[in-house]
Amino acid sequence: MVSLVLILISSLFFVGIIVKVKAKIAARKMPPILQPVYDVIRLFKKGAVYSLTTSVIFKIAPLIYFASALVATLFIPIGSFGAFLSFEGDFVFFAYLMGMGKFMMIVAAMDTGSGFEGMGANRESFYSMLVEPAFFILMGSVALFTNNISFHGLFLNFNVDTNLSYIIGIASIYVLVFITMVENSRMPVDDPKTHLELTMVHEVMVLDNRGFDLALIHVASWLKFSIFGALISNFIIQSSWAVHWQIAAFFGIQVAFSFAVGMLEAFRARNKMEKNPQWILMLSAISVVIFLTVLIITQKIILN
Amino acid sequence: MTYLFIMLYAVTLIYFALSERVKKFVWLLVIQGIILFAIVFFSLNEIELFDFIFILAETILVKSIIVPWFINKVRKRNNLKRTQEVSVPVFYSIIVVVISLVVSFLISNHLNSSHIHTRYFTVSFASVLFGIYFIIIHKNIFSHVVGYLIIENGIFLLSLAVGSEMPMMVNLAILLDVLMGVLVLGVFINRIGDTFESTRIDQLSRLKD
Amino acid sequence: MNIVLFKIAILLTFVLFLLSRKYQYYFGLALHLAIITISSIWVFNVLALSSTLTLPFIPFLGNTLSIKIDPLSAFFMLVINFTVLTGIIYAKGYLQPYCNKKSKAEMAWHFFNFLWLHISMLLVVIVRDGIAFLMIWEIMSLSSFFLVIFETEKKETIKIGINYLIQMHVGIVFLMIAFIVAYVQTNAEFSFDGLSVYFASHNPFWLFILFFVGFGIKAGFIPLHSWLPHAHPAAPSHVSGVMSGVMIKMGIYGIMRVLLNIPDDLFNIGLFVLIVSLATGLIGISLAIVQKDSKKILAYSSIENIGIIGIGIGLGVIGIAQNLPALAVLGFGGGILHILNHSLFKSLLFYSVGSVYKQTHTRNIEQLGGLIKKMPKTAMFFLLGALAISGLPPFNGFISEFLIYSGIFKSLHSASLYTDIVLMCSFVGLAIIGGLAVFCFTKMFSVMFLGTARSSKVEHAAEVNTPMLIPDFLIGFLIIIIGFIPVIFMRLISQIVVLFSADLSTFQQIIPTLNHISLSSGIFIIIFGLLWLLRAWQQKQQIVKQNATWGCGYSGANAALHQYTATSYADNFVQLTSKIVHVKKDFKDFDEAEIFPQNREFKVRTSDVFEDNLITRPGNKILAWLEKIAVFQTGKIQHYLLYALLFLALIFLLTFFNLI
Repeated sequence: MVSLVLILISSLFFVGIIVKVKAKIAARKMPPILQPVYDVIRLFKKGAVYSLTTSVIFKIAPLIYFASALVATLFIPIGSFGAFLSFEGDFVFFAYLMGMGKFMMIVAAMDTGSGFEGMGANRESFYSMLVEPAFFILMGSVALFTNNISFHGLFLNFNVDTNLSYIIGIASIYVLVFITMVENSRMPVDDPKTHLELTMVHEVMVLDNRGFDLALIHVASWLKFSIFGALISNFIIQSSWAVHWQIAAFFGIQVAFSFAVGMLEAFRARNKMEKNPQWILMLSAISVVIFLTVLIITQKIILN
Repeated sequence: MTYLFIMLYAVTLIYFALSERVKKFVWLLVIQGIILFAIVFFSLNEIELFDFIFILAETILVKSIIVPWFINKVRKRNNLKRTQEVSVPVFYSIIVVVISLVVSFLISNHLNSSHIHTRYFTVSFASVLFGIYFIIIHKNIFSHVVGYLIIENGIFLLSLAVGSEMPMMVNLAILLDVLMGVLVLGVFINRIGDTFESTRIDQLSRLKD
Repeated sequence: MNIVLFKIAILLTFVLFLLSRKYQYYFGLALHLAIITISSIWVFNVLALSSTLTLPFIPFLGNTLSIKIDPLSAFFMLVINFTVLTGIIYAKGYLQPYCNKKSKAEMAWHFFNFLWLHISMLLVVIVRDGIAFLMIWEIMSLSSFFLVIFETEKKETIKIGINYLIQMHVGIVFLMIAFIVAYVQTNAEFSFDGLSVYFASHNPFWLFILFFVGFGIKAGFIPLHSWLPHAHPAAPSHVSGVMSGVMIKMGIYGIMRVLLNIPDDLFNIGLFVLIVSLATGLIGISLAIVQKDSKKILAYSSIENIGIIGIGIGLGVIGIAQNLPALAVLGFGGGILHILNHSLFKSLLFYSVGSVYKQTHTRNIEQLGGLIKKMPKTAMFFLLGALAISGLPPFNGFISEFLIYSGIFKSLHSASLYTDIVLMCSFVGLAIIGGLAVFCFTKMFSVMFLGTARSSKVEHAAEVNTPMLIPDFLIGFLIIIIGFIPVIFMRLISQIVVLFSADLSTFQQIIPTLNHISLSSGIFIIIFGLLWLLRAWQQKQQIVKQNATWGCGYSGANAALHQYTATSYADNFVQLTSKIVHVKKDFKDFDEAEIFPQNREFKVRTSDVFEDNLITRPGNKILAWLEKIAVFQTGKIQHYLLYALLFLALIFLLTFFNLI
């Protein structure tokens, strides 16, 4: 329960920090940290306009998307705090559950009968297909390293004792940061600020959603950021630390992660759309290097 | 610690396969030189001052500073395009570099010999394989120079693998090789630039009799 | 007693020709139900006691042919019975428009073949004797051939049917050669059980390859699959559903039966099956993504799912060979469960697509769209099938893939280095296949059912009548049950897995995990329900309006032209994999000087790269060569008499010189 509460709290200020960092670097006036929360509360008070072309699919998709993100949050442990739900192989369920949310959002975007949303839907399905292997190879490597296959067991036994496990930690964090960017369609896959319909992925898929649905979609994307931030923090927080240090480190890492995302978004240019597949494949390639490193550590590859 | 830098070297190979801009090639060569210095630094048992200065000179000075600066000058002089085209899509090149890494790791596991330090053999073999592949797929002679330098880095690591200490002669030979290669190719490129006004290799086959 | 009833049911199938068209269907349905009941009694006997039932069947070639039902056969019988039952219920509504167009004999022949397909599939899994097995296999191929060419008025249908028949016969030749080789080398019984004598003393790999090719042509492994994407669209939908759902699994049954007889030396076999299956899965779904014919997409998707089943079986065999009990048990378990799952959701998808075809008379998805408003129930069943086939929780496709993933991840630690690399490649392959399946089915569902109608063919579509939806309900119910409460099927699966690998402790360990999955799925549904109620409450107090889709201020032309087509959806994938999916675009580009462009046409064609290179090109070369020889056929009788004279002279000369 504790990890769920922590993730929910950190999700509230995650996007706010990103926006603040980007504004500061662009020499604009910084909005307050909780501005996204105020926006969502305003959305919750609004009615909705549904398109005549859409059907019941469009109405149930945001609910399924949010439900999948919320249930996915239940699987993430933090340090020594267990997750609400945990079983062997739960990271497979985690990945495919998020895939369920994405499936419904994609068909909802196609439901509107608009070419823009179709573009976004097409790209979303393509990029999420390409990033799946990266996540699985990463989780497989860490599972092989710690000889455990649930999130809870994985991170409980992830001890950085040798020098080589540092590189696993650092490389995993690097890959996870970029997997987050691909999953939420941020830089360098797509720039959420341009709002050019021809180049957006997530932003264009939700053009026709309003009110309650749009609020749920926003909160779901905060949750996704927070989930991956929690996964990253798990690579750093050791279960042997004292409880208050773990919580402090968790919030510190979330703030640092959102800060880093803000810097990345401010300074990095968007990839050309046609170069995105190869860039995403690079993440899987780095995951394979992590897998090879784990094979060396576990003495399956014997080198002298 | 050496394993850490060996893995970082493998990651730079992946970035070589991913990138298409010429400036990035130069930067990656600089980074590779620094990584090589770190590998050597952490793997020597005892360091004599003369050896240390020589290694520092060879890796940082030559590989990271002089050669990239020279290549950069050639790039500016010939007004090269920002990106170089490849005959195989980048997507498949990344798959090739991953396969070559896995294969070279498996080979070094299989070698199991006490005469070779297989930990360096892994990325050196992958580097040689990938450098050759790099030359095959790029159509510009400038990229061929870069590929040649990747192969040289691989051979440098190979010398680490087979030598129990740093044999001076091997290092001198490699150094001379690199300098000669870059100098000759640099002069060559300048000449080609004057004669043909393009550095694409399909024009070069006009030279054959 | 049951055997006698079974034989009577088989003989009664001939009565179909005597009935009028009105009663043919009901008589056929009654016979199907009778056969299902009798076989189910055997199945429950076998499964309740976990034993093998042996019954004498008919006298055959001097000896008594007996049927042997072990848990593997019983499982397949269950799958066959359920799918054929849903098929025959669906057929009533589907064949309605054909009843008046076809003659009494044609309809009787159709129902007769459907019955014989059912009977022969059941007999295939319970007969062990070699010659009888081959004869039953042949009957199965023949009956499915006649079912495929039901719409004989279309010329292509007959061509496709003959293509199918020839490929099936090539397969049976391989099977015959394999059985004969085993018999000749060991002089044991000419049956499946006699194979174990051969495998005990010889290297099993090469004979296994022969069997694999023979059964693989039926199953649809790449590159032996080229009949599938032609036969399944040409056949009527109830036949496609049954063929895709169970008939291709007969190939898998054959491979598993052969595997049961191989005691050791299994690593190469497992690796071979795994590599072929990974290629099958990846290439199958890639080819599915670029198709425009709805049934062809489903046919290629069947190829992909056969690949997934093969991955499970291959991993299971590797697990036995490398002594990794988790991999063995869970690999086989996942593969076997996927056999059941695929028969369920593939037949559901074929029935939905068949209903769409019946109402719109087109299989081209580029002419459909917006059907969810006209056929809501069919659309929701299709969505259920699409979610299940993409392997998404909380439905059944996820459970079988999860079992395979569990097997892989549990054995990563204890496996050797090369096995670890193999395992990594297989879970990466599975992940990519899953992602591609999501890509394919989001495209298919959204282009067919969502958005606005792309052509006028959709205008007269209406929801199909309820009897055609009954099979959908039955299958949907099972999909949801297996997805939400998988543990009740685990006992069934474990009885079959134990035939391959005796260590079942891993199976006990997986039960709590499956219960947790049920719990998580339940929480998911509850949260969804709560959100629905919350939104209903919130929107009661607000204004909820309806308006047109936001079009960026552009309102000209037909609304249907703005939306994404299937070709554009698949386009960025095609750019990536252009070597495998041969997509040819025919269009004339715009000139720079062309200020007022003329009308243009744009055509997209896809072709199967394996069929082109393995069948069409060699076929054309042989035809070209044969045309040169056709010079001798001049049509003049004088030339033929000249040939006869020359032949006489040749024989005379050869005899004169003592050569013959």
